[in-house]
Amino acid sequence: MSGYSAGALVRQGLRSTPEWERAWASHDLRDRYEVVIIGGGLHGLATAYYLASRHGITDVAVLDKGYLGSGGSGRNTAIARSNYLTPEGVAFYDRSLKLYENLAAELNYNIMFSQRGHLTLAHSDASLRTMRWRAEVNKVQGVDSEVIDPAEIKKLAPALDVSDEPRYPVLGALYHPPGGIIRHDAVVWGYARGSDRYGVHLHQGTEVVGIDTEHGKVTGVQTSRGRISTGTVVNCTAGWSTLINDMVGVRTPIVTAPLQAAVTEPVKPFLDPVVVSGTLHVYVSQTARGELVFGASVDPFAQYSMRGSLEFIEGLAGHVLELMPGLSKMRVLRQWAGLCDMTPDYSPIMGPTEVEGFHVDIGWGTYGFKAGPVAGEQMALLIADGKPPALIEPFGLDRFLAGELVGEKGAASVGH
Amino acid sequence: MIVLQCPWCGPRNVAEFYSLGEVVDRPDPSTATRAAWRSYLYLRSNPAGQVHERWFHRAGCRRYFDAERDTRDNTVFSTSPLGQEETGTGAQS
Amino acid sequence: MTSPGETNRLARVPGEVIDRERPVRFTFNGTSYRGYHGDTIASALAASGVRVFNRSFKYHRPRGLMTAGWVDPGLMMQVGDDPNVRGGHRLVAEGLDVHSQDAWPSLKYDVKAVNGRIGRFLAPGFYYKTFIKPQRLWPAYEAVLKRFVHAGSVDLSTPHRQVDKTYAHPDVLVAGGGPAGMRAALAATEAGARVLLVEEDHELGGHWRWSGPGQLDELEQLRRQVAEAADLEVLVDSVVIGRYDGNWVGVVVRSADGAERLVKVRAKSLVVAPGLIERPYVFADNDLPGVVLGTAVRRLVNLYAVRPGERAVVFTANAHGDACVDDLHRAGVEVAEVVDGRTGATVVRANGRRGELASVELSDGRTVPADLLVVSAGWTAPTSLVNMAGDRPVYDPQAARFFPSSLPDDVLVTGGLAGDGSVSELLEHAARTGQEAARRAGLVARGWATGMPTRPDDAQPLPGDTQPVEVPPLPRSPHPELFRSTTHGFVDFSEDVTSKDLFVAVAEGYDSSELAKRYTTATMGPLQGKLETINAVAVIAEAKGATVADTGTTVWRPPYAPTTLGALAGRSLEPVRYSPMHEWHVAHGARPLVAGAWIRPEHYGDPAAEVRAVREAVGIIDVTPIGKLDLRGPDVPRLLELLYVNKWKQLAEGKVRYGVMCAEDGVVLDDGVTGRLGPDHYLMSTTSNGAAVVWEWVESWLQTSHPEWQVHCVPVTTSYASINCAGPRSRELLSRLTDLDLDPESFGYMNVRTATVAGVPDVVVWRIGFTGELSYELHVPAGYGQHVWDALMSAGAGLGVRPFGIEAQRILRLEKGHLIVGQDTDGLTQAYSAGLDWAVKLDKPDFVGATELRWQREDGPATQLVALQPLDRDVVPPEASQIVSASGQILGRITSSRHSPTLGRGICLGQLRADLATPDSVVRVLQPDGRIIEARLCEHLAHVDAEGVRARA
Repeated sequence: MSGYSAGALVRQGLRSTPEWERAWASHDLRDRYEVVIIGGGLHGLATAYYLASRHGITDVAVLDKGYLGSGGSGRNTAIARSNYLTPEGVAFYDRSLKLYENLAAELNYNIMFSQRGHLTLAHSDASLRTMRWRAEVNKVQGVDSEVIDPAEIKKLAPALDVSDEPRYPVLGALYHPPGGIIRHDAVVWGYARGSDRYGVHLHQGTEVVGIDTEHGKVTGVQTSRGRISTGTVVNCTAGWSTLINDMVGVRTPIVTAPLQAAVTEPVKPFLDPVVVSGTLHVYVSQTARGELVFGASVDPFAQYSMRGSLEFIEGLAGHVLELMPGLSKMRVLRQWAGLCDMTPDYSPIMGPTEVEGFHVDIGWGTYGFKAGPVAGEQMALLIADGKPPALIEPFGLDRFLAGELVGEKGAASVGH
Repeated sequence: MIVLQCPWCGPRNVAEFYSLGEVVDRPDPSTATRAAWRSYLYLRSNPAGQVHERWFHRAGCRRYFDAERDTRDNTVFSTSPLGQEETGTGAQS
Repeated sequence: MTSPGETNRLARVPGEVIDRERPVRFTFNGTSYRGYHGDTIASALAASGVRVFNRSFKYHRPRGLMTAGWVDPGLMMQVGDDPNVRGGHRLVAEGLDVHSQDAWPSLKYDVKAVNGRIGRFLAPGFYYKTFIKPQRLWPAYEAVLKRFVHAGSVDLSTPHRQVDKTYAHPDVLVAGGGPAGMRAALAATEAGARVLLVEEDHELGGHWRWSGPGQLDELEQLRRQVAEAADLEVLVDSVVIGRYDGNWVGVVVRSADGAERLVKVRAKSLVVAPGLIERPYVFADNDLPGVVLGTAVRRLVNLYAVRPGERAVVFTANAHGDACVDDLHRAGVEVAEVVDGRTGATVVRANGRRGELASVELSDGRTVPADLLVVSAGWTAPTSLVNMAGDRPVYDPQAARFFPSSLPDDVLVTGGLAGDGSVSELLEHAARTGQEAARRAGLVARGWATGMPTRPDDAQPLPGDTQPVEVPPLPRSPHPELFRSTTHGFVDFSEDVTSKDLFVAVAEGYDSSELAKRYTTATMGPLQGKLETINAVAVIAEAKGATVADTGTTVWRPPYAPTTLGALAGRSLEPVRYSPMHEWHVAHGARPLVAGAWIRPEHYGDPAAEVRAVREAVGIIDVTPIGKLDLRGPDVPRLLELLYVNKWKQLAEGKVRYGVMCAEDGVVLDDGVTGRLGPDHYLMSTTSNGAAVVWEWVESWLQTSHPEWQVHCVPVTTSYASINCAGPRSRELLSRLTDLDLDPESFGYMNVRTATVAGVPDVVVWRIGFTGELSYELHVPAGYGQHVWDALMSAGAGLGVRPFGIEAQRILRLEKGHLIVGQDTDGLTQAYSAGLDWAVKLDKPDFVGATELRWQREDGPATQLVALQPLDRDVVPPEASQIVSASGQILGRITSSRHSPTLGRGICLGQLRADLATPDSVVRVLQPDGRIIEARLCEHLAHVDAEGVRARA
């Protein structure tokens, strides 16, 4: 396989027409695969990659109704962090961050992970208290997190107004140095290329229209390009996960709603860390290209529409200028939306279901991107071992009927 | 900004309303099994299509009412006061 | 310093928009230039012979003007503190300070232009393929890359001038004020509609403004009709930024200095008439300054009287390009060669000298010297707005552009987006579209009106359906599919993406429009594909060996035009609530605390002294933000029974009771006291944060589950100023201001009275004690709050009265072991984990939360609220300190922690694993500083007066 490196760039650059190997191949759809993964986004591709690379399970098909990364993987705001509230959440996302830190080297694909630090601002006593809580839980688990005061915040992000002028003055922040931003598409493409090298088949433009079961067991998948026999199906979709679950009658607590985001025209770099304000429902980062990327909280009612709304960018702009009043002349270039599958406890649903062979990796709310690598790793482990690994045990679908919800809700009104 | 037809106030911007989500039947709390009760608390149909849902006119008459809406494109088919068949037409997509 | 003269300014031309009587001076990169009122930055500079305006994004190649309009990748300017200003649109003004963006150290000698020479190595996906190892060096690489960011600068001291947004409710909104838009707007008004017409340029007219003398008379006539039409409002230098669900449309209105304001429009119907945008042509070095689109020539010559060059080659494939030839002749430009794309001839390469165009290579092998190459190779249809309305535009190879395919009923198109045809066909189409838009607006209005419940039965009948207006399709002119020549060149000029890059991307497997776009960043730049989308799609299609139609376009996203955060934000409308005594607090040194919507006194300088005053004498605190609901009706007791976990049926008149509400999942929702003021009259109090939530909670149960109950619920939080008067001498203090019998025998603990206090009648007084002291909470009609407060302060002067704030109250309640919902509980804390076992009455028939609480009691709670005291009296572990096992496992956490002035030691509340919550056991507490301290679990939640003697005094 031809690797990527500076040397390769020079060699290819000297050709009149560069001849890079295809990042991934296209294949005819086989009529059976050992494992069928529905959803060619970050989670599905990561699951395929770890199945093949860690467990030698290479007879795997990844199906996507659109192009690779066309769902949430390409629509999120590409923030990674592990400063969650619950011990189980911290352990899980910390593993993800560790995987992200080594991912470029592992995949031979630069995902441009820029660990510039992550600030979650507190504008009230109550939120400062939650920040302290998160910081302490993080520290116990070895995650670098601390609460800092406005003067320290100002040093990290001079554009922020930390005076007592704003309607909601900044009282402090949870500072998480290893947090940062990643080029989200690169992660998708890196995993796609990586799993292709192991022989995984990536099928774009292949929509799942039905799942066959017999006696409570999965037997096959019906697609727009024909039927596949398989005993193992993994639902790695976001936004449309309910529609896939409906095909086998698995009920979940998911409610789907759009999460909107926007990007500005580029300006010269002035903002280093990722800045989040839960009170103001906004998060901001500046890319290496100079654009500001904004996100907010999910839309206030259930929708499968991704058209976005004017009130979103209005509210966003108002809140950004509350935080950084000097930006009033920056221009919003583009807004978009992705679908989020929200769960009652702001935690994912991972593991087997009552239908044998039908596994889910869903309900990621607004956290799916951060968890991509670990979700893939653990789902692969689940399939290879046949039982949920410890790291994802708290996230089983059965927790809702058992009344054992995960306690992330407290930290999550806006938690990017 | 879609328009919702409040059965009491007429057509208003959706920003005036609060969504309570799809309407779920509440089991008898004294006899419900844990599974039945928690299904009521948590499990949802979450359809991509028509949904029967409840809204609250928070910045208006503060009445709760029901609506039939398409979650794919926000077409509102009808709205109706609680316990009544539809009276209003959504008329807006 | 002498400034360059206007060497390229022509004598007066018909239709010019500059005012030669009003010269304007401005600077560009520090040099002074002259222009006229009406000039854009670009036209004024072009008139003075400026050819190079900027350096490009990746390769730092010199760039000139291309369209001379808003959509021009070479004309992004820094104007004062305003970055990324469109130099082809912004008008010059006296003293304007204009700079190129990204030309260091100067436009002529751009050091980074070396990137241009190594461009062959900056392949698509360059970043993905390099800087991979070692990982730890990526931050260093990134820091270098960031210095190359191609953009203007933001001045962080720029003030946010808050501009109000406005609303508009026209029947018909017409987006685009060219001939078709104007005609459609007029027809809609003639059909009885109220119309808003929005034009992006500085005046109405679209391409007719620069179409030469022939069209000017007709344009004048149209403009006059528009000006005279009733019910037709026109916004120029304004742009429709987005069409959202429900035909909710954002319009940005610009002012001359670039400031913007937002108009939000509920359009009953929307006519989209943006015209067409000329697209570039892809060939080698198609970005050299001197290579322009026909549009630029037509605008420069006819609007600004600017001669665009000396010697021109014209590559034309349409009438617009042909007209450029005439313009050039009139402007005195030598037309060296006309290359007619309709015959198959084409240009293959632009040759430069010192970074500007010197000659043009043609497909027949000749090289023609020229300093101007005019390209008119076709159009891009700006389908943004119809795309936002759900349309998927379809490519027509005969016309070589995309057309809308399926529009919702309330969106119509006319003009170039709909087709071509003759002028009269175009105007006829526009007129019929306007009429039909008016009719459809009527249908929408009727739909709204029929749903109006307040509409009287005998109201005028609404207009019935009229016949739809027939709108015959507009003919489409054939146009050759000219996207790329035989050479490779730039496809996206903003992002420096070439056709070769797209070929490479497709070959690597990024072979759909979306993937290739994301991989190469084509169309991702400041123009968002307005110029380049169709070329990008065509090149991708070519690389794949597919058709443009099959490859399909990407989805356009709002806003159509980049919009300032200032305009979108408008004025901040976050409400702030102040109690009637707020000014007094400020005057007496209160430290403000933001508490939700309220600003409250945290303390008056010495919270410990405030605590001591309450424990030893008397203090008063402003508790106005406490939520208050006035409940009336015979069924209030049933409501209370339903919503509180404890019992209420037996509450006698004159009594108050503490109550806890849980949600359906058993999680503690709110707490407070409710008093019975009369036979059917209750006053419910809630936490300050819970006021709105509980009001909705009450209404929801009344409306959705028990509409048959007779209960009126009125929020009275701000109707009352609330003052808690607490301390052993509070009775004495209050007795000085009221005739109410305060004897503990007649007005005991947990009782309520209505009394006259300090001369104010109807004050609700309840005897309760969040602080654990003897205390009276006064709910005073808000207008008299300050009066009663003053009276308490002066009557209490000899009793040692002092005001106390939130901080003292927090200490006092912690000493007393009273929990705060949301602090000592969290989003999953059920009642049995909150130490509320005593309150939960599972033997009641039904109450909200009972189901889960029954199971919680059966299973036993997982965690438990406990009181703790550090073994070392002087230690006060910070809140959020973790209770840990010897092996460092988290067992619980400190939820509240203070130094108690009363006990002279640290005191805490915490959540702890229930199986460990044994009184007197010692736990390890890990503080944020990393130190572990030990704390003993207390028998009671109350640290002070566990028996409750003081409050009952």
